[in-house]
Amino acid sequence: MLVVEATDLRRSYRTRTGIVRREKKEVEAVRGVSFGIERGELFGLLGPNGAGKTTTIKMLITLLLPTGGRATVLGQDVVGAPREVRRHIGYVFGGDRGLYERLSALDNLRYFAELYGVAPREQRQRIGSLLELVGLTGREKERVEGFSRGMRQRLHIARGLLHDPEVLFLDEPTIGIDPVGARELRATIATLREQGKTILLTTHYMFEADELCDRIAVIRDGLIVAEGSPAVLKQRVSAGHVVEVETFGLPPSRTDSVRSVQGVRSVSVEERGQAQVLLVQVEPGAEVTSGVLAELLGTRVGRVSSREPTLEDAYVELVSGA
Amino acid sequence: MLVIAYWLHLKMLAASVFDGIFQVIWPLFFATTAFLVYRQADDPAVMVYAGLGSAVMGIWSVVATTASSLLQRERWLGTLELLVAAPTRFALVLVPITTAMASLGLYSLTATLLWGWLLFGITVPVASPVLFVLAIAVSIFSIALIGFLLSVAVVRYRTAWAMGNMLEYPGWLVCGFLVPLTIFPTWVGWIAYALPPTWGMQAIRSAASGGSPWRDVLLCLGLGMVYGLVGALLSETVLRSARRHATLSLT
Amino acid sequence: MTSLRIFFIGGLISFRALFNWLSPWIYIPSLLVAPIFQILLFAYIGRSAGIESDTFFVIGNAVQYSAIPCLFAMANTVAGERYTQTLGIVLVTPARRIPLFLGRSLPVVVNGFVVSMFSLAVGSLLLDVSIPPSRWLPLALVVAVAAASCTGLGLVNAALGLRVRETAVLSNVLFGVLLVFCGVNVSLDALPDWMATVGRWLPLTHAIEAARELAAGAGLGSVAGLIGTEVALGIGYGAIGLLALRLLEVEGRRRATLEIQ
Repeated sequence: MLVVEATDLRRSYRTRTGIVRREKKEVEAVRGVSFGIERGELFGLLGPNGAGKTTTIKMLITLLLPTGGRATVLGQDVVGAPREVRRHIGYVFGGDRGLYERLSALDNLRYFAELYGVAPREQRQRIGSLLELVGLTGREKERVEGFSRGMRQRLHIARGLLHDPEVLFLDEPTIGIDPVGARELRATIATLREQGKTILLTTHYMFEADELCDRIAVIRDGLIVAEGSPAVLKQRVSAGHVVEVETFGLPPSRTDSVRSVQGVRSVSVEERGQAQVLLVQVEPGAEVTSGVLAELLGTRVGRVSSREPTLEDAYVELVSGA
Repeated sequence: MLVIAYWLHLKMLAASVFDGIFQVIWPLFFATTAFLVYRQADDPAVMVYAGLGSAVMGIWSVVATTASSLLQRERWLGTLELLVAAPTRFALVLVPITTAMASLGLYSLTATLLWGWLLFGITVPVASPVLFVLAIAVSIFSIALIGFLLSVAVVRYRTAWAMGNMLEYPGWLVCGFLVPLTIFPTWVGWIAYALPPTWGMQAIRSAASGGSPWRDVLLCLGLGMVYGLVGALLSETVLRSARRHATLSLT
Repeated sequence: MTSLRIFFIGGLISFRALFNWLSPWIYIPSLLVAPIFQILLFAYIGRSAGIESDTFFVIGNAVQYSAIPCLFAMANTVAGERYTQTLGIVLVTPARRIPLFLGRSLPVVVNGFVVSMFSLAVGSLLLDVSIPPSRWLPLALVVAVAAASCTGLGLVNAALGLRVRETAVLSNVLFGVLLVFCGVNVSLDALPDWMATVGRWLPLTHAIEAARELAAGAGLGSVAGLIGTEVALGIGYGAIGLLALRLLEVEGRRRATLEIQ
């Protein structure tokens, strides 16, 4: 049985603009998302800001009602049986908010332990071992208002695990955390997977998805554009290579003309300091360097290099649709 | 779970000394004015009446003014989503919070009684202290239940605090705190008797003067439960609407 | 010429920008409904105690309630600048300070006037208080003077608001002080002497007295003295407020505290 199953999930928002002449607009944030997560899998939902990752997760954790489609967690419908679903899932999100500032870490955990119905006898032991798991032992009596973001994040994870849920939903857990802290967090997440938990992770960090996830779904504009293990996704662009051309003062129109060179699969531009670097995805076996350079006559060109594609290239291609 | 939730929220609310001081001072202005007016009537029984009634004003004030913005504060803290995502019924999550708020009214109660005694020489006789405390506790709880209903009823309005504040004066006026219900037209009496604080106030007065407050205590509690039940039903509807219209996390 | 424009137009614009109580969801409950209930509360306390008359309480509380909009609006339109982080930007302009801050107080006075007159009218209707029709115009004048004078106090409040963080609490405390000391619900001779003395130095006291005499049928001439005192007090408080604002601006520039929230 699939632990998490989403079938054609849809969510639109109605926004109102203006005060006198009210215009109602319908924004479709999620336009038919379907996927399934097996038990013990670490599933990644990868996509740029505004793609619909958070909206999808919120539908699965019963905080949002879908406007179409359905989803089940552990066999329970998220719309019909929300309380059943809530008993067995944990929700962790990134950022500074979501904790009672004036309470200590310990009190925050005790409060949520009560809300999740953790038996009083078990609370002490479980809170203790969770604090140890996230590395906050010894700091639990301090007020949260003094915590750094990394500490808050770790406290969030502890909070999400209080009732020993089978499924964990992590929404951009390492956002805004320093590299060392983030690395420790990822190690913790990996440990949880090893313990047999099923995890859905949203992120826009490629290497994080690459490192942690068993399978990834790439979401763009409310739709899933690709799904598979990291290796499979990389393969979608690994036939062929990437040519990087460093330019200075590249006029935007040139990108289109470069795109029209035969053998070029897609082009994107990356700003690196003063330079605009053209990332040209090349069809397998094609030789495009001279053609590309011909289109760039008149523009100052720096280094030209050729390399194998990475997951980031796959992501950029999938997400920019070029 | 209810006890711990109550205790933790009480801790948080009590932490802000500045707010606490203001919650005590505000009703005192009105109590003082009432005392100054009643003093001219030259009747000690009336002073005791006002002294006891004004002490309870603070409980109503603290709930009317802060309960209306309760959910807004949780939303701003980012914890509203977490409270909703928990498997506990939303009503059971909110009631301990409003009860903690109402308990802060005890500061005001004590301060007002002391103020009346020190500055105006009002001594409130308390014939049965146990029943007195019980009546106060029941009043606090039922006012908390109204606060819970209020917090859920106004959640759609971003300016909910203004709605709650608007209820402060009417509560003082009709619940028999400073003015006996006999001087109002009958229809006001109907409204008053539909409100738990009216019965709570009567219970407190009976306990102080040595009568039997049991009928009033039970009516206060019973009515409070009714309001709480309405609030619980409303909270489920409100939650469903919030989940449909995605307003749980908007600031 | 610019100063005049700053006074009228600039004042109105800042009022709309910073006084966020203008939304009907806040305005109606806080400024139109609440004062009616305050009037009812004290009128009934008066009836229950057998003291004074309904007219006494209606006038007292209707005039006193203008303190809420006058104090809060003034504090918001000045101290609110600190919150929106526009204070430094405003002070860096060459605009002359007096028309700048006084201009903001004009809409506040008008607003206070509207609130008081509304509660006076509705309160009288509800409690069946009859004020001779010929007295309404002079009453309106006195109410306007009261609002202006209270706004003067509001300027002082605003200056304090630039220093203190909890501006709302400060405004509420001032409101409470005015309620107790200004003869709003207890005539000055029924107050202990020291309280009456304090009351005579506060805004609103003389205006309330004048209004009560007018309602009882007195002519404008006989209350001219009271009105004069009220005006003088208002100007006094306003001057103190403006001076304080200037001082705080200078200090803020010296100690770099203008932008601190």
